[in-house]
Amino acid sequence: MGNKKRKLLGLALVAAMVSPWSLPGPAGAEVFDLDSMKNLYEKVSFDHDMHIEITGQNCTECHHHTAGTPPTDALCVTCHANSPEAADPSCKSCHVKDVFDAENMKKTWDTPLLHHRNKPSLKAAYHQNCLGCHEQNGAPTGCTDCHAMTDAGEKFYNAGKYAPETKAESHGGGHH
Amino acid sequence: MKKINRRSFLKGGLAGGVAAAAAVGAAKNADAAGDFGGYPDSMGVLVDLTKCIGCRTCEAACNKEQSLPMPDKPFNDMSVHEEHRHGGLPRRTTEKAYTVVNKYEVEGREHPLFRKVQCNHCQEPACLTSCFVNAYTKTPEGAVIYDPKVCVGCRTCMIACPFYIPAYSFSSVINPVVKKCIMCYDTRLKFGRPPACVESCPQQVMTFGKRKDLVELAHRTIESRPEKYADHVYGENEVGGTSWMYLTSVDAPFEEIGFDVHIGKQPIINYVKEFLAIVPMVLTIWPALFTGFHLLATRKDAQKNEESAS
Amino acid sequence: MKTFVAQGLKPVDSLMKPGANSEWTLKEKLLLGLSPGDYMKQLVRNPFNWIFAIIYAIGVPVLLGRFYYGLGWATHGSYDYPWGLFLGWGLFCMVPLSASGFMLGTTVELFGRKDFKPIERLGLLNGLLGYLFAVMFLQVDLGQPWRLIYPMFVSLGPAAVLFLVAWHVATYLSVQVAELVPAASEMMGWKAPKKFVKSIVLGLTVAGVILSTLHQGALGALFTYAPGKVHPLWYNYSFQWFHFFCSSIFAGLSMLIVVSTLSKWFLKWRCDANFTKNLDRITLGLSKGASLALITYLIIKLTAIAHDNEWGLLFTGWGQWYIFEICFGVLLPLFLYTVAIRNQSARIARFAALIAVLGILLNRLNTALITFNWQLYQEIPHWREVVITITIYATYILVYRACLCRLPILFTWKGDAK
Repeated sequence: MGNKKRKLLGLALVAAMVSPWSLPGPAGAEVFDLDSMKNLYEKVSFDHDMHIEITGQNCTECHHHTAGTPPTDALCVTCHANSPEAADPSCKSCHVKDVFDAENMKKTWDTPLLHHRNKPSLKAAYHQNCLGCHEQNGAPTGCTDCHAMTDAGEKFYNAGKYAPETKAESHGGGHH
Repeated sequence: MKKINRRSFLKGGLAGGVAAAAAVGAAKNADAAGDFGGYPDSMGVLVDLTKCIGCRTCEAACNKEQSLPMPDKPFNDMSVHEEHRHGGLPRRTTEKAYTVVNKYEVEGREHPLFRKVQCNHCQEPACLTSCFVNAYTKTPEGAVIYDPKVCVGCRTCMIACPFYIPAYSFSSVINPVVKKCIMCYDTRLKFGRPPACVESCPQQVMTFGKRKDLVELAHRTIESRPEKYADHVYGENEVGGTSWMYLTSVDAPFEEIGFDVHIGKQPIINYVKEFLAIVPMVLTIWPALFTGFHLLATRKDAQKNEESAS
Repeated sequence: MKTFVAQGLKPVDSLMKPGANSEWTLKEKLLLGLSPGDYMKQLVRNPFNWIFAIIYAIGVPVLLGRFYYGLGWATHGSYDYPWGLFLGWGLFCMVPLSASGFMLGTTVELFGRKDFKPIERLGLLNGLLGYLFAVMFLQVDLGQPWRLIYPMFVSLGPAAVLFLVAWHVATYLSVQVAELVPAASEMMGWKAPKKFVKSIVLGLTVAGVILSTLHQGALGALFTYAPGKVHPLWYNYSFQWFHFFCSSIFAGLSMLIVVSTLSKWFLKWRCDANFTKNLDRITLGLSKGASLALITYLIIKLTAIAHDNEWGLLFTGWGQWYIFEICFGVLLPLFLYTVAIRNQSARIARFAALIAVLGILLNRLNTALITFNWQLYQEIPHWREVVITITIYATYILVYRACLCRLPILFTWKGDAK
């Protein structure tokens, strides 16, 4: 067990070292545009500063172990107790857009001992991360509370001007 | 109600006539060894129900991908979660919707749990084995697909499916056929892509991968958070295993969110094998047996004929 | 017709006109030897025909509607109850009640019991028509009836139980047609076909037994696909086929007693002395066969409960219903048959037969519709479904009557073809 843990730790370190030093950590006053669902919804203007304030500057709340602060979840601590701040702690540096892309699938399933096999895509990372807190703290949770639906989105959801006409009898034929 | 175990008849202690039945029961276990067990590299989907928020995006994605008819209500209309069909049951798959998401308020849980319903793509599908025109195929990729061009419309697959999945286009007069989820085989799975519902999910409730990897992942997920997940991977063994498998929350066991937990581990075809086994016996033994009966029964006439001839 | 016979009319029972040196023409034979005017008169006079007329007035438009508007219009189009009355009644009830064909064929041709000869053809006809109309019901129920031959020639799924049903019913239908060729030959004055069938009658009968064993059993085995859906008391994966096969034996024999009784009552003019004089004796003979099958069935039913250890279920609501089915549908006719045989009373035997037929209907409807989906909800058939079912069943009765009036079934044809 200990051996396995050490291996995982080593793997994480290696991963941290080889990751590109592209962007410096966005710790300044910023508003980000999150557009992982831009085909269906308008971008979300994410106020990073405001969220830093709300969380009491506890980066771990959202950034797991990549912001230099130790994770609180006991399960994460087993490997990431001493993980250093990631070169790029932004969501998209770890959470890829298309997790089902052939290359990513191969990486996910063919890397032995990889722990994060169901690591969410960028879109899912946003939703999984945001919705839990939003619900707990009474922040908006409805789809269109954060991002307005585009025309393509209305078409996709058969909503707005693409909504079905309300039928008198909704059960065409018999009862199903 | 307490479900009675089919195998527990010995405990019933009815002697005599049951002895022969016991022999039949024992033989049944032996032929389970010949089960198919699924294609080794088939794909599957692991659904983590604790993550589903019931947004119905998967329903919309399915509708577009499969070019299904316009729904009765918009896909962002959450009032469908309160809808009930006959018998107070939640929505099910229909000819117009190959997947639906239902809401379950579980006692002792603060939040409702949502459950996505679609074809589970069994390893040994009941629909496939019951089809008398062989319309169904279990592809090596894991999908259970069907050829609507040969569907006669007998609807035996709907009788056989233990999950109540196949629907029928009752509304069509000229070309009514069975309708069900095909795991987006033609448009996506064949090319290594996950079904549209999986990809569309904003919460990534569903993990797509090889079934055998997913089984491992499922157990590891439960192991790592035993306080969160119920210790049961639904679909790992149910009716011989399914390509779609589910994890649920420890406080919302499967039986409380509409899953049939008494479904058994045997593929449905195993229940039919006993009859299928007698078919060749009847075909081969009956002719000789009944001709023999005939000779026996008419032996006096035959004797008489011989005597009168001599 | 009774009136005409009372007035001295002799219904057609030979090739030659009585007292004349000419043959009946086909038209005359079909009109029962009446002039077209007289034929119409007796049609109108018969009160049953008025009942049929009312059924058709309502039923035919609904039946046509089913093919114009689709199954969703005619039935509840339920995804949970994919099979309704068309199959529940038309296939699962009609087929066991038609088991008389192979039973009588076996008794007379294989076992050499010539004493059952006077009713053999009625048994065969009852079998043929029951199967034929089961197929009619199937054709109404199938989404695409024009693809009925697909499992035969286009796309074969030989591992499916329904595949066996399809093939066996199809081949058995041809066997039954062949078995009735002699009757038709006599009426038409053909010689060769009758002689040919006579030469292969043993083969036909053995084929009949095989096919009947398998498809009667297969109808039961169809439900083994639904272990969670049929109530456990009506479900047993080991014995389901045998329950269906064994019960079809007394179902067929009892139905034959019922039909022969109806013929005796309503078609008395058509029955000859050979039939009427022997009927009571034959009825008691059939009763013996039926009671043997009933006892076997009862034991195997109880064995099935023991096999699955389902005694506890007998104390539930469904258990009461099950006990009622066994008491009314098995024990009561068994008791009545026994009393009838002891007292040599054909009257009681006929009553027993009626109860046995009702009992088998109850059993098949229980398996296919009533206890099916016992954990979900109960589907009540759509009224149009009921109307269509009645209409097709009325057609079955009409065709049955037409055959009995014309073919030498209830009477012996006088004189063979030259």
